[in-house]
Amino acid sequence: MDRTDAGALVQAAADGDAGAWKALVEGLSPLVWSVVRAHRLSDADAHEVYQTAWFRFAQHLGRIREPGKAGAWLASTARHECLKVIRNSQRLTLTDDPRLLDRVSEDGTPEQSLLDSEEAAAQSERVRRLWQEFEELGERCRQLLRVLMATPPPSYQDVSAALGIAVGSIGPLRQRCLRRLRARLEARGAM
Amino acid sequence: MSDVNDTDMNDDGLSGEEDWGDEEFDAGLLEEELRQAAAVLDPVPAELQQIAVDAYALHDLDARVAELTFDSLVDALPVRGATDVPRMLTFRAGEVTVDVEVTARGLMGQVLPPQPARIEVLGGPRPGSPLTADDLGRFTGDVPLSGPFALRLRAGEDVVVTEWLRA
Repeated sequence: MDRTDAGALVQAAADGDAGAWKALVEGLSPLVWSVVRAHRLSDADAHEVYQTAWFRFAQHLGRIREPGKAGAWLASTARHECLKVIRNSQRLTLTDDPRLLDRVSEDGTPEQSLLDSEEAAAQSERVRRLWQEFEELGERCRQLLRVLMATPPPSYQDVSAALGIAVGSIGPLRQRCLRRLRARLEARGAM
Repeated sequence: MSDVNDTDMNDDGLSGEEDWGDEEFDAGLLEEELRQAAAVLDPVPAELQQIAVDAYALHDLDARVAELTFDSLVDALPVRGATDVPRMLTFRAGEVTVDVEVTARGLMGQVLPPQPARIEVLGGPRPGSPLTADDLGRFTGDVPLSGPFALRLRAGEDVVVTEWLRA
């Protein structure tokens, strides 16, 4: 979400415009979710952290010093809550979540029915492989890419707030991680 | 936003482990593919997003927000060998301080300076359960907290809400 847009929407929402709030949620929700997912919490914890970030954002509406940086504010809040969860449980699971890998073969979502058509089967297989290789990347790359793949693409300031890494190191790290992913896919003959 | 998709040429120091150059490798394209995969395989759950939309109701102009100034999860050293240590929280709004101790059984706390207050425990869809702080500002609640919560205090004309936290 563009800074100018975010700033205007935060202002309007603080002034009582519920539609502006909804637009903020729709525009920044995938970023918050990506931050939470990047930290590999359990589903229950992930849901609670996501909610906590939005509840606190609603609570601070109108008091946020730089409304244009709403994305970074939310990303940073979500990150800190994730770190608390990890600290509290002291047992961060680093193993792959097989449910995520299997999700393509589940029924239900509208996207899924699209993938089900026969001519889309090859594409579906490609997406599944891509996701699997992504999940098996090293932790640092997996985290960064999970945040970068939010829709719309987050700014580097948002990514920095989401992961606590310097803005200047994001570009090179991104390049390196995407290369690694590409190499893994090529090794499997998936490109 | 657009800087995400710029081709990054400042890649010195990272070369050597992979062979292709930037002209053969469109990082932006692969990232976009990941973005589409995430939208299909790991989207924001619809019911969760609806909760965020509904959270607009939490925008409370009348209340002052008491900010979290101490959280034992972050600010305290772990006690060796101790399990089930209560979570200690301190919130502050101006001259009002709220100390809260969260345990498996519920919560107890104190409003400072000491004063009677009505306290509501806000927590997602559950109805707020009202507590009362006595003349010394002390209060207890025997319902275990789970998930995001906040305390809404009414002391005289003053309304203070603590920052939302995950229990």
